[in-house]
Amino acid sequence: MSDMNPAVALPGNTRATLRRNFWRGVWRVLKRKPSRMAGAIIVLAFAFMGVFGPMFYPDQLPRDDNALYAPPSWAHPFGTDFEGTDVLALVITGSQYVLLTGLVTAVITIVLGTGIGLFAGFRRGRWDSVLMRITDMKLTIPGLPLLLVLSTIWKFSSAWEMGLVLGLLGWGGVARAVRSQTLSLRERGFIEAARGLGLSTTHIIGRELLPSMAPFIAMNMLIAVTGAVYAQVGLFFLGVLPFEANNWGVMLNLAVFGGGALTTTAALPYLLAPLLAILLLTLGIVLVVDAMDEIFNPRLREE
Amino acid sequence: MITGTGITKTYKQRGNVLSGREVKALRGVDFSIEKGGAVSFIGESGCGKTTLGRIIAGLETHDGGEIVIDGVPMSSLKPRKREPYFRRIQLIHQDPYSALNPTRTVHQTLAAPLALRARRTGRPGSWMDERAEELLALVGLDPGYVLPRYPHQLSGGMRQRVVIARALTVDPEMLVADEATSMIDVSLRLGILSLLKDLRERLGVSVLFITHDVATARYIGEGGDLYVIYRGQVVERGQVETIIENPVHPYTQSLLSAIPVLHGLEKPGEQPVVPTAALDESKTDDGCLFARRCPFSTDRCASEVPSLAVTGAFPQEHSCFYPERRSVVATPLEAA
Amino acid sequence: MTVETMPKAVPPVPSKTAPGVRVGGLSVVYKTSAGELPAIAGINLDLVPGTITGVVGESGSGKSTLALSLLNAVQPPGRIAAGSVEIDGLGDVVALRGEDLRKARGRHIGYVFQAAQNSLNPLKTVGKQLLDLGRSHGVSDLRALVREAKELLGRMGMDGARVLDSHQHELSGGMRQRVGIMLALVLNAHLVVLDEPTTALDMITQATILRIIREVHEERGLTTLVITHDLGVVAEVADRLAVMYGGRIVEQGPTREVLGGPRHPYTRGLLRAIPRLVGDIDEARALPGRPPTLGTVPREGCVFRERCPLRMDVCDTVEPLAIADGPRIVACHAVDAAAAKETKA
Repeated sequence: MSDMNPAVALPGNTRATLRRNFWRGVWRVLKRKPSRMAGAIIVLAFAFMGVFGPMFYPDQLPRDDNALYAPPSWAHPFGTDFEGTDVLALVITGSQYVLLTGLVTAVITIVLGTGIGLFAGFRRGRWDSVLMRITDMKLTIPGLPLLLVLSTIWKFSSAWEMGLVLGLLGWGGVARAVRSQTLSLRERGFIEAARGLGLSTTHIIGRELLPSMAPFIAMNMLIAVTGAVYAQVGLFFLGVLPFEANNWGVMLNLAVFGGGALTTTAALPYLLAPLLAILLLTLGIVLVVDAMDEIFNPRLREE
Repeated sequence: MITGTGITKTYKQRGNVLSGREVKALRGVDFSIEKGGAVSFIGESGCGKTTLGRIIAGLETHDGGEIVIDGVPMSSLKPRKREPYFRRIQLIHQDPYSALNPTRTVHQTLAAPLALRARRTGRPGSWMDERAEELLALVGLDPGYVLPRYPHQLSGGMRQRVVIARALTVDPEMLVADEATSMIDVSLRLGILSLLKDLRERLGVSVLFITHDVATARYIGEGGDLYVIYRGQVVERGQVETIIENPVHPYTQSLLSAIPVLHGLEKPGEQPVVPTAALDESKTDDGCLFARRCPFSTDRCASEVPSLAVTGAFPQEHSCFYPERRSVVATPLEAA
Repeated sequence: MTVETMPKAVPPVPSKTAPGVRVGGLSVVYKTSAGELPAIAGINLDLVPGTITGVVGESGSGKSTLALSLLNAVQPPGRIAAGSVEIDGLGDVVALRGEDLRKARGRHIGYVFQAAQNSLNPLKTVGKQLLDLGRSHGVSDLRALVREAKELLGRMGMDGARVLDSHQHELSGGMRQRVGIMLALVLNAHLVVLDEPTTALDMITQATILRIIREVHEERGLTTLVITHDLGVVAEVADRLAVMYGGRIVEQGPTREVLGGPRHPYTRGLLRAIPRLVGDIDEARALPGRPPTLGTVPREGCVFRERCPLRMDVCDTVEPLAIADGPRIVACHAVDAAAAKETKA
């Protein structure tokens, strides 16, 4: 496959060195501001929670019938819910669905958005017109009503399904933005030079264009995660989806409509715990996004 | 050998359907560049010299006329078949800052085209590294220092040398240098110019030098041809030295008159020519394109179109009804 | 040398308003990760009332920093670390703060920014921007201001009324540059700083702008400072010339004398590195090495020694003093040594 990737033929150590330098640079960029460090730690903690968290709990979470809506205590830092289940355990086990959905959505959004945007911007002409008309049409589809309709026939019991739907609904904006970035980048001297040297389109797109857009893509990806979290939590909160999965949105719904958290204080911890988790995740992502520009720009990375 | 005949190019300026107006970037230009030769295009910004350079480098298309490379008319080939011809003509951009990908090291920048070449010619991978070092040394850089670095770690002059080295990876027949030194520090410019000159002498690469600075054209294009381009048309063409010493077209004369005089070292020419008006592309001209700005124009100039030819006792081609030698170039003061 | 009358050796009418400027021991440092680094150090420069002074330097020479210091407009992470900028009628600009400083800019000092071609607001007509400028400086008679602007534009060969009604994109590069000059002069400033006034303009437009600078300078009785990288530009307009390198002025003196007999090895090298239209083209020689940046300027000794053909041992350790010889001032050990030998002989 050296056809697509000329750098493979280079002595291996150069690429390894580059990669090592890159990660060293990332470390340096994160260390530059404490807020970024904090953001990175939060995001990593959530990732850890999503992957390993549920392993610490049994499939069926223990209920304590004597402690319904118990106030926070050492045993239950965020109290318990209407059935006496530990709220913290609910948040942790629920995170898997939420975070996996976020990730799947972000990946689909970015892959589709970037792919279509790059192709349209690079090819221009007829391809561009067709793809951008499709994007426009897609952008005019109102997401929430569509989801409401879809939910009547589809239960979204797995995070993959949820992520797929949200991703398919979300790529339009990214495609438009990537296209306009591509249009401006392709006029730059180094892209023109690459074409003049007869380098393949694969090389130009993959090795010249994409890295230049990396900070932008990474930022969009992170922001897509938060978007997806909001969207699905919102859907579950509204109760349009059946409560088949343990989910932060379900918790919010039950706390508000079942526990009356807005009128009584008993269910307040139950309401606040998932909210806090969402806030913290968003904060972490926002703090990390700040570092993206410097991570993917060699000049800013090394200064 | 690269020749062009009657090259035209018209841009349609954006606007609504009714107001979209056409800008004639090139109005039938002929040129010919010998193998190993040097040709300079000079003119004001917007005169079409850059467009012509880009057309010659295959980066832009032209509307009319024919380009012939090594005896093969390009119009007879499908676009895909033209590529190998145009690849041998490499453009050196004006801006060495945007010409290199900021996310790639010099090594990566040179390796990509070299890998392509190694594959085509069946050379081993080790050849690439050797060749990259060889090329960097050729353009006057220290490979050990430059190879692992990103463009932002290099000065403007070094970047421009890397750009030239990259162009040399494909063993080009011609380099098109478009204002290749205008964004480089003054003390480093001559280094780039003499490098291009050197490459021409050592490798037999022909150089097309596009500039608004006649003096650099004189430096690099010694003995070669100078094309003075005005509004998409060649108005004077001949040997560089001939035109600088004996310019006959009033436009060439006003270009030469505009060059700053180093008072104290030189004294200005005695008959400077200053255009009577600024360039105004919005008006159409029936006669000579320069007539409205020319201090010497007559009724004939406004109505009749002059053609590029050798007339009078002058060796160079020009398109002026009233060619006249004027002393416009500064002369050195005798040292006291 | 042939005797030529300098076009402007003496200011026409010794205008009472053309101020003199005395820059003394000026140093500006920039805060970087490697500590505070000097962009300019110990600059001494006098602008004689009614003259045009040209400052020539390459990137990183500190010429733009010097220009900004005249307005006390050095932006963080930079700051003026030492020295003074005395302007007649204003006092030491370095000591000015806040409102006084804002008023001084525009009223006393007109500044034409680098790339003035692109410094206009693209959304407003030139006229609107002129009125904004007038209001922010508390001009009561805005009609008179517009009249003055039209007159200035007319003087520079443009249709004032039309230009004031135009947006930036409707004007060519040369026209925008003239608008920049108009905006710098319209508040009746008599000290004008032009930063790279002709970059990105082609030869014929450049010649026009330089002619206009010269003419307006004389007619209005200004003190003018032109900052540029192009020796040719300075040669065309300036009465005096200061050559900057690595944050220092290495040579200054009357333009013709400096160009006709450059003394500092950098000035000599620079002049030799410019291809000329006449004479032996092969005499042109590139300067070896490259100009220093903020981080690579030597901390001690001569800043030019790395590229200098006359380098001596003393250059590594001792920074050469600027030594005056009549109107000429040169900071070079080798030049000093040669001069000392001459007086002895």
